[in-house]
Amino acid sequence: MKYIVTSIALVIGLMASAQNVEFKSANFKDDKDGFKAAVAAIKAGDEFFELGNEAVFLVKSPGINFELARREYEKAQKLNDKNGELNYKIGVCYANSPYSEKCISFLKTAFKLDPECDPFLDYYYGYALQLDGDFSAAKKSYEKFEAGYKKADDFSKFVTKRKKECKAAINLTADPVRAWVDNVTELNTAQNEYGPSVSTDGAELILSSNRPNGHTPNEIGGYDDDIYVSSIENGKWSKPKAIKGAVNSESDDVSNNLSYDGTKMLMHRVEDGQCDIYESKLVGANWTAPTKLPSAISSTRANERFASYSHDGWSIYFNRDNASRSTGYEVMYSSMQSKLRQNYMAAQMISTINSKFNEGPIYVHLDGETMYIASEGTGSIGGYDIFVSRNINGTWSKPENLGYPINTQYDDFFFSGTANGKYAYIASNRAGGSGGYDIYKVTFWGPEKEPVTATEDYLLASIVNPIADNSIEESVTVKKKSFTVFKGITIDAISRKPVEAEIEITDNTSGKVIETFTTNSATGKFIITLASGKNYGIAVKAEGYLFHSENFDIPKGSSDNLVNKVIELKNIKIGSKIALRNIFFDTGKSLLRSESNAELDRLVKLMNDVPNLKVEISGHTDNTGSAKSNQTLSQSRAQAVVTYLTKKGISASRMTAKGYGPNSPIATNATADGRQQNRRTEFEITGN
Amino acid sequence: MSPNKRLVFAFLTIAISSSSFAQLEELTPEEQAYKDSIQALNEDNAAIASSQEAYNRGIELFGQEKYSAAVKEFGKSIQFDPNFTAAYYNKGVAENKAGKYADGVKTLSKLIELKSNYSKAFFQRGLSYQGLNKYAEAEEDYEQSIKLNATNPKAYYNFGTLRFLQKDYEGAAKYFSKTIELDKNNVNAFNDRGSSYRMLGKYPQAIADYETAITKNPKLAFVLNNLGTTKSKTKDYTGALAAFNRAISIDANFHLAYNNRGVVQMNQGRLDDAEKDFKKALTVKSDYAPAQSNLSAIYFKKKEYKKALDHANKAIKMDKNNAAAYVNRANAKEMTRDMNGACEDWLKAKELGSEAGKKYYAGNCGI
Repeated sequence: MKYIVTSIALVIGLMASAQNVEFKSANFKDDKDGFKAAVAAIKAGDEFFELGNEAVFLVKSPGINFELARREYEKAQKLNDKNGELNYKIGVCYANSPYSEKCISFLKTAFKLDPECDPFLDYYYGYALQLDGDFSAAKKSYEKFEAGYKKADDFSKFVTKRKKECKAAINLTADPVRAWVDNVTELNTAQNEYGPSVSTDGAELILSSNRPNGHTPNEIGGYDDDIYVSSIENGKWSKPKAIKGAVNSESDDVSNNLSYDGTKMLMHRVEDGQCDIYESKLVGANWTAPTKLPSAISSTRANERFASYSHDGWSIYFNRDNASRSTGYEVMYSSMQSKLRQNYMAAQMISTINSKFNEGPIYVHLDGETMYIASEGTGSIGGYDIFVSRNINGTWSKPENLGYPINTQYDDFFFSGTANGKYAYIASNRAGGSGGYDIYKVTFWGPEKEPVTATEDYLLASIVNPIADNSIEESVTVKKKSFTVFKGITIDAISRKPVEAEIEITDNTSGKVIETFTTNSATGKFIITLASGKNYGIAVKAEGYLFHSENFDIPKGSSDNLVNKVIELKNIKIGSKIALRNIFFDTGKSLLRSESNAELDRLVKLMNDVPNLKVEISGHTDNTGSAKSNQTLSQSRAQAVVTYLTKKGISASRMTAKGYGPNSPIATNATADGRQQNRRTEFEITGN
Repeated sequence: MSPNKRLVFAFLTIAISSSSFAQLEELTPEEQAYKDSIQALNEDNAAIASSQEAYNRGIELFGQEKYSAAVKEFGKSIQFDPNFTAAYYNKGVAENKAGKYADGVKTLSKLIELKSNYSKAFFQRGLSYQGLNKYAEAEEDYEQSIKLNATNPKAYYNFGTLRFLQKDYEGAAKYFSKTIELDKNNVNAFNDRGSSYRMLGKYPQAIADYETAITKNPKLAFVLNNLGTTKSKTKDYTGALAAFNRAISIDANFHLAYNNRGVVQMNQGRLDDAEKDFKKALTVKSDYAPAQSNLSAIYFKKKEYKKALDHANKAIKMDKNNAAAYVNRANAKEMTRDMNGACEDWLKAKELGSEAGKKYYAGNCGI
């Protein structure tokens, strides 16, 4: 219920606001003069309006007729903006101008105020909807118009075209091409800018504009088209400046195409209603006065415009209208026979490209195989669209729409691309511009870019498990070898004369005899080297002398590396005593240690060598401990030696064992060294 | 004749001219010379002992993986005994282990001067050169090592590795085959020969070798990863996924396998699954640039260009030479209307050797 009430209120409101106000005197009783002026203005406008419509019907340019008509209509509109028919007419004037976007509101208003105001309203209302992007509604409006249009003329071709445009628009806008189209605001004004032609290096752009130029404006205050130049500065286009040289005139001068090397330019100029193609050349910094191209191109019988050089410079493509046909401008080309003579042959029409409607600006790509053509014809989604045709085996293919958003339901024409095809400049009067036709930059995305994915492997196992040979050479046993020079002399203990003696050196650790030698017979001297850090036994014997024995240490790392020893030998006389220094017992015990064997064996040898020798083996202690125990120990140690000798075959009768305890010291017992000397085993000759 | 006997003999010769009057006297000049020679001998012996002690300490430190300290000890050993070849060798090995490859070259070169038939020294010096990326010199050494000892599979293996690194994949395969001939259970050699075949585009042979390596040691996640990426190349995405899944089951933190599985998922159009894998790779290794770059690729595919840009930025921050990330960033920059930035990045990617960077730069930038 609530919704019904709301709907009724809305309808009432719409009816109230959609009240058509007829241009009747009764409606303007308070402003009769104003009413008369308005009616006069409408009448004046209608004359231009008709002329414009006739041109449109013939696919010709309406010129400024619609502009002139609109000027008049707007006078009446000031008095009464609630008249459906007047809104319709203003809308139609805009619809057929570069400012077509402005038609939308007028035509929609006309439709609201008076849907029956004109037989063509449904057609133009459809166009307003089309421009507004409501293609389905537009198509329905066209269909409605078509159903009600009974005249047996050729207008139906326009309706059919519009319907196709809507159909195409629905399809193309649903699948936009991969491009951005940006208004190049720095180039554009509220006036028209079009005819962009970018230099091959993309650094300079030539365009045309009817912006105020100091020339005399026409009757509607408009200026003629001039050609301007802009260049890239800090990544932006500079403010366009009038092209240098004698190019621009008081007539419309419209840039068409810049040669690839940037030294020539095609343009068209309108003089006395005749539009022809001209060429200007760059000499130094200036462009020469344009020269009209030969009649094969710039004929007197027709209008020519929108020319383009071919890629090789041998041909020129251009538009030419045809008075005998109502198919608008068509694409033609003319080729030279000789570049020197510039003798262009009769122009040929390219039938595969041309449509029943106007073809527009042409651009032949540097590759020579791609042509961009603007066309109002089949396949457009509204107004001029840009199409591409490809030269396949010498024949230009059927043009294909470049797609949305390059093309829109408005006029989109002119195409000038950079060499790499990434960018192009076009002109368009699409909604949202600066006014009229504007220059737009197209940035093609190209085929969808594939992101790059990265996989990673350890292709070489050595990255994970490095292969090295970690085995190193083995450790070694450290051998600390150090030698000490052992120098000595054997002398007679009494006479001190050198005695030649046999010396035997024993390593007491191993018990092995390591050296045996005889001292010098003349000097008694000897010198040998012994490994340091060991205890050695030295046994010296000389004929007629008592066997000499002692043990000594060769210290490690001896500073002077020398042991110097004088060995005194004693004659074997009864009563001679010899201390057996290399006989060892464990402390407090009488068991002979094995390292004593060498000394004992030397004693055995002496006893064997001197068979009559009788000896007393005596044991001595220091005075440490009890006298009794020392006595016992010394006796048992002496007995141990005798026992050893006995076991080695020495007759016990030749030996006596006697313990003296501490009673026969040979040194003081007050010092450790003295006590060491006193602890001894002695050998005394008792018979010989 | 022992040194001692020689010395006695020498003395006796000297003694003939000595005084016959015996007494403890100063050393004669001859005796002094003799004593000096013994002193010198002792010094030599002490040096050798010190050298050996330092050498043994070096071995102990090497065993404790204290390679720099070991190098010092082996150095001392050499200082004490400059002819101690084992010390040079061990020093060279320790230097290699410590990553001091230039020092390794010096040490091992000296050793080779002292002992030119030391096969292991050539092998080790080859490792040193390899560490310095001097592949030609390393190859010469491995060849010499092989010449001196033709039964060392490691020398063949490393030679093969060098051939691989120099993109001589045929040569690499040959040497890895020789390694396998000498050591039939060398899984590394199977893997690496597989990789050589892979680089030669011989995918079936590569897959066979990887599978042999896996059979011999089923725990090698990296081989499964290689198997997966190779199967991807043959468009066997199912096989690839199985390999990556196995790799992940062996090593749940194997970021490469997550990343690579993500790429396969992405190729199969499973963008969300791929995204999860890339994120997992980054969870495991937060500074893993390829996964960041791949995330950028995913978001580009999803037309989330801002995110694509952010992740490419992160990837580049992690790895300034990541060509793929530059391409992906450029792609994202283009779609966020930064064409100049895009061209800079494509150019950078091109300079880093990216074919995509080259292609996109040529097609979109310049005149």
